[in-house]
Amino acid sequence: MLTNVFTKTTRDRWLGWLVGAAAVALMFLFGMAVYQDIDLSLYTDLPVAFRTMFGIPENADVGSLAYGAIYGSYGMLTMAALALATGAASIGTEERNGTIGLLLGNPVSRTSVLISKAASLVILTAFGFVILWVAAIATPAILDVSTIGLDINALLFAMFINALFYGFFALAISAWTGNSSLASGVSAGVMVVSFIAVGLLPIVSGWENLAKVFPWYYYQNSQPVMNGLNWVHMGVLVAGSAVFAVIAVVGINRRDLRGQSVGVKMIDRLRANHYTHAIAERFAGTARVSRIWIKTASDYQGFLLIVSFSMFLMAIIVGPMYGLIDAQLKDFGAAIPDAMLAMFGGGDLSTFEGFYQIEIFGLMAPLAVMAITIAIGAGAMAGEEKRNTMGLLLANPIRRSTIILQKTITMVIYASIVGFATFLGTAAGATIGNLGMSLWYVAATCILATLLGLAFGGLALALGAATGRVPVAVFGSVGVAFVTYIVNAFLPLSQNFGGWAKMSPFYYYLGGDPLLEGLNWIHAGVLSGLAVALFALSIVLFERRDLRAKG
Amino acid sequence: MTIAIHTEGLTKHYGDVKALVDLDLDVAAGEIFGFLGPNGAGKTTAIRTLMDEIRATAGSATIVDLDTHRDSVAIRRHVGYVPGDLAMYPNLTGKDTITYFSNLRGGVEWPHVDELAERLDADLSKKVGDLSTGNRQKVGLILAFMNRPQVLIMDEPSSGLDPLVQREFQLLLREFVTEGGAVFLSSHTLSEVQRVADRVGIIRHGHLIALETVSELRSKAIRKVDLYFDGPVDAANFESIAGVRDVEVRNHHISLSFDGHVETLLQAASDTSTLIDITTQEADLEEIFLTYYRDEV
Repeated sequence: MLTNVFTKTTRDRWLGWLVGAAAVALMFLFGMAVYQDIDLSLYTDLPVAFRTMFGIPENADVGSLAYGAIYGSYGMLTMAALALATGAASIGTEERNGTIGLLLGNPVSRTSVLISKAASLVILTAFGFVILWVAAIATPAILDVSTIGLDINALLFAMFINALFYGFFALAISAWTGNSSLASGVSAGVMVVSFIAVGLLPIVSGWENLAKVFPWYYYQNSQPVMNGLNWVHMGVLVAGSAVFAVIAVVGINRRDLRGQSVGVKMIDRLRANHYTHAIAERFAGTARVSRIWIKTASDYQGFLLIVSFSMFLMAIIVGPMYGLIDAQLKDFGAAIPDAMLAMFGGGDLSTFEGFYQIEIFGLMAPLAVMAITIAIGAGAMAGEEKRNTMGLLLANPIRRSTIILQKTITMVIYASIVGFATFLGTAAGATIGNLGMSLWYVAATCILATLLGLAFGGLALALGAATGRVPVAVFGSVGVAFVTYIVNAFLPLSQNFGGWAKMSPFYYYLGGDPLLEGLNWIHAGVLSGLAVALFALSIVLFERRDLRAKG
Repeated sequence: MTIAIHTEGLTKHYGDVKALVDLDLDVAAGEIFGFLGPNGAGKTTAIRTLMDEIRATAGSATIVDLDTHRDSVAIRRHVGYVPGDLAMYPNLTGKDTITYFSNLRGGVEWPHVDELAERLDADLSKKVGDLSTGNRQKVGLILAFMNRPQVLIMDEPSSGLDPLVQREFQLLLREFVTEGGAVFLSSHTLSEVQRVADRVGIIRHGHLIALETVSELRSKAIRKVDLYFDGPVDAANFESIAGVRDVEVRNHHISLSFDGHVETLLQAASDTSTLIDITTQEADLEEIFLTYYRDEV
């Protein structure tokens, strides 16, 4: 192993792990405090499948609910995402930045570089879990919550092994292809599909065993916080990680290293082809560089396509799905506690509107719109400075405010497209499922989701405009979104903190029950006003400051 | 003489760091101004302040009589700019890049771009991300020249260019000023500045420490001079001349170091005896540079 490569890699990424783990720990603290304040008896009546999906143990009490649901479910997703991001960046980023050549210009083998990166992944993951462990011990002590009968160490160890599994999965793809985006995309996709499949498949009669195909099963099914470690399941995950490690070593040694070359995409081939040149040129040639906003749109069109299509598909599936499990839902719908529903944005499971709110609008729709708006807000402004292209852009006779306005145009259009795709999917799903939902109310909800996304996109834009730093813009806006989501979702459960929700933009999204009540114009006005204010602030902040020499 | 660039007490501080201090200079139309200095001396800070990328702590600057901050948008219609450490959009081809920026300016004369590309031997069909540093720099140079600006501001413009392309670039610069353009060119490629610049400013620790024509600077440079006479010479005749040092006499031959006006030396020589031959080692900016930065090298 190469100590300096290990140290540098660890040093480059520890802050992300600290922020991620601290966010989970904070959510744990919030959750446990709120659970203390509410009646948990409803949890005991939950069907097994639901409890399994959300990591809620049988006979849940405050402690087991907080550990199971917050650590075991949300925390696990966060930590696995951090691990796979670290694994994906390990080799692919060095190649994209063109530093792999410099690194391997020294008398070191590719295998030793890879091992150093893998060691850094393990240490960083361990670092994250040490933070979670400290919070797991300290929080119940502070709040005076009993942890008797809970195997906290087993839960954290299982989470650690599961996180490493996805980290090594991404590492293997990254080492095999040298493409960090592909590695993070594929491994995140597998993780999310796996999480959903393991939660949903047991609900469908006869498909229960299919869940075993998905790796998440070997983490979640045995419920380590209640039952201790299932060593066979742990063995499966460790063996999987070991296989990925071997694939990574073989992968990096067998192939040509990628330079900083941007590669040839399908559209480039179409442009080069005699027959398709004219049409491809319309889409990818001069057309995409005719305006700043169009070029920005072109830069993010792939991402937009994935996000909109995913939302459309998910929304369309929910309608027929409600038809399939309608009876079961009605049986236990009333028994699901508000706290759990609040995590997903609330909603009454006994109605299809409530089911749509839980499945689509509570969390997924705002996440989808925010993914686009924050990516454009942070990447489009601070990204130009990071890539050192802002100076060249501003060498042209255009105002700084013009750049912000043009990027904002793209953001508004793209957020609207995601909102519209969600509307189309929901409208189609509701029609197929014959649910008789009000399409105007669906549209109202999608409009509010779009406005909410624009408010956080505006925040990312403002942070990027103020600092020129992409991480500040991304982590700042995501952090505020996270905290305000928690404020809106959990604080109203406690009578003492009820009014605080209005401090959160999320309150103005679903607070007026738009699926049932239609568009609350005041709420739409608040969100629009917030977005416009942040766009205006971005212009002021950007006009005033020096451009950064380098991102 | 039309002044294209004018700065008055231009100052930029980053906290306690004085990156640029009281810069006063004029660059005339029809002139190539070379801005010389070692890394971190303040060259890029000066250029970025002129381009309104960063804002002056004190002082002011004008380009074609327009204020660099207040009228920055108007100025950029008249300026071609090559930033230091040039970066572009890797996914765009050279042609796409030029189209993008020309759209921001309001149109492009493709015949002119094609001519520039041909002269600089630039391949505009490849993606910028796939180009070598030098080839990427060629696209940057085309961007600067393509809108027929009045003023060119260039930060280390010949980075990565091969000698043939460098020569063509210098030719382009000379043609540009012949037609009345003004060039502000920062460089630490001394030979380049020596070849193309009419005047040179030398900057050190943010202070402009010299501002002279290339010929004036040369005249000041320390040079080795060997004088051959038809008879014996006395060292004392030369030691008293201002600028003469290290005088050595060997029979009819005298060698010395000199950093004054050659005229005075020749006068003294002709007064001494019959001068048969004179050789002088040509001063270049490298030596001048070393003279100014002697304490640092």
